[in-house]
Amino acid sequence: MTRKKSIATRRAESQAAAARAAEIRRAQERQERRRRTLVVTAVGVAVLAIVLVLGYLVQSSRDTTGRAAATPAGAVGGYAVPAGPSSAPHTVVVYEDFMCPYCGQFEAATRAGLQKQVDAGKVRLEYHVLNFLDRSSTTDYSTRAANALAVVLDRSGPAVAKKFHDLLYEHQPQEGSAGLSDAQLVDYAVQAGAARSAVQTGIQNRTYEQWVKNVTDQASKDGVNGTPTVKIDGRTVTYRTVAELAAKVRKAVGA
Amino acid sequence: MNRVQLFGVGLGLLARVLVGTVWVVAGVLKLPAPEDNVRVVRAYDLLPEGIVPVVGHGLPVLEILVGLCLLLGLLTRVAAGMSMLLLVAFVVGVGSAWARGLSIECGCFGGGAGPAANAQAKYPWEIARDLGLLALSAWLVVRPRTPWAVDNRLLPPEPVPSRESMQGRETRA
Repeated sequence: MTRKKSIATRRAESQAAAARAAEIRRAQERQERRRRTLVVTAVGVAVLAIVLVLGYLVQSSRDTTGRAAATPAGAVGGYAVPAGPSSAPHTVVVYEDFMCPYCGQFEAATRAGLQKQVDAGKVRLEYHVLNFLDRSSTTDYSTRAANALAVVLDRSGPAVAKKFHDLLYEHQPQEGSAGLSDAQLVDYAVQAGAARSAVQTGIQNRTYEQWVKNVTDQASKDGVNGTPTVKIDGRTVTYRTVAELAAKVRKAVGA
Repeated sequence: MNRVQLFGVGLGLLARVLVGTVWVVAGVLKLPAPEDNVRVVRAYDLLPEGIVPVVGHGLPVLEILVGLCLLLGLLTRVAAGMSMLLLVAFVVGVGSAWARGLSIECGCFGGGAGPAANAQAKYPWEIARDLGLLALSAWLVVRPRTPWAVDNRLLPPEPVPSRESMQGRETRA
C-alpha cells in the first residue's frame, strides 16, 4: 500500500513539476514576444518619425508665405489697393479673389453705387486681392490677376488701378477655366489707362507674386476665411447671400 | 476558422483598406498647396498661431504615413491608434466650427478656405464619416493582426490558440 501510494505521489509530483516548467516556459515565451513586439514597434515608430520630420521640412520649405516681398507703391497698410480719399467718412474694406464668382456678383451689384460715393468723397475703398482660388483655374489666374493689379497700382496709380480692377470683374472668366491670359491682362491695363511699356514686364514676370501670397496670408490671420468679405468702418458684414451683402453695403454707405 | 473568426478577419482587412485609403487620399490631396493647408488649420481658430504652420505642414505627411501603415499592415496597432487620435481631433474641430456657427470648408481632402455657403449643412456628414472611420480604427487597435500584413513578418507570430490561451486574454500579442 505504502509503495503504491508513494508511486502515485511521485507521479503527481513530477506532473506538477512538468506543469510548472511548462508554465515558466510559456511565461518566458510571452515575455520574449512582448519584448520583440516592443523593439520592432519602437524601431518602426522611430523610422516613421524621421520620415514625418523630413516630410514636414519639405512641406515647410515649399511654403513661401510671409517671406519678404516688394510692396507696390501706393498700397495702404502694406496690403490694400485703395480708391477714394482716406478722409472719407466711411471706409469699405473688400477681400476678394478675381476668380471668385460671388465676388463678381458682389461687384456687379455694388460697383455703380460705391463708385458714386467714392467720387463724392464719402467712401474710401480698400481692396485686398487674394489668390486662394488659384486651384479654380488652370493657370493660377487669381495670382496673375492680383499681381497685375499690384503692377498697375505701382506704375500707374490708384485711379487707373481701380478702373483695371473693375474691368477684370466685368470680364471675369469662368471658374475652372484658364482665366484671362497675361496678354489680355496687359490689354485691359492699357484700356484702364496704363502705359503698355510700364506694366507689361511686371505682369508677365509676376513681380508681386510673393506680395499677393502675403496679402492672402495676412487676410487669413485677420480672420477672413472666405470671399467676398466686406468690413465697413472696421466691422465685418455678416450675410447669407450675395444679394443680402450687397444690400447691406449699399445701405451702410448711402449708395 | 469558425464564422466569428472569419468575420473578425474580414472586418480587420476592410478596416485597413478603407481607413488606410482615406488617409492616403486625404494626405496626398493636401500636399500640393502647403499654404492653403496652413490657412485651413488657422480658419478653425482652435490652435495658437505659433503651431498653426507646423500642423498645416506636418498633418498631410502624418496622414499619408498612417494610411500607408494601415494599407501595408505595418505597425497596425500604432497606426490605428494614431488614426483614432487624428479622427477625434477632427471631430472636435468640425464639431466646434459647427457649434460656433463658422462657415468653413473642412479642408479634409485639401482645398478649403473657400466660400463655403453650405458648410453648416456639411458638418454633420463630415462628423458621421469621421465617427465611422473612428470605429473601424478602434477595431484595429483591439484586433491589429490581419492576413497580408507586414506585421506578420516583423512581429512574433500569434501564439497558437491552446485551451489555456483561449481562457486568458493576456497571451494576445
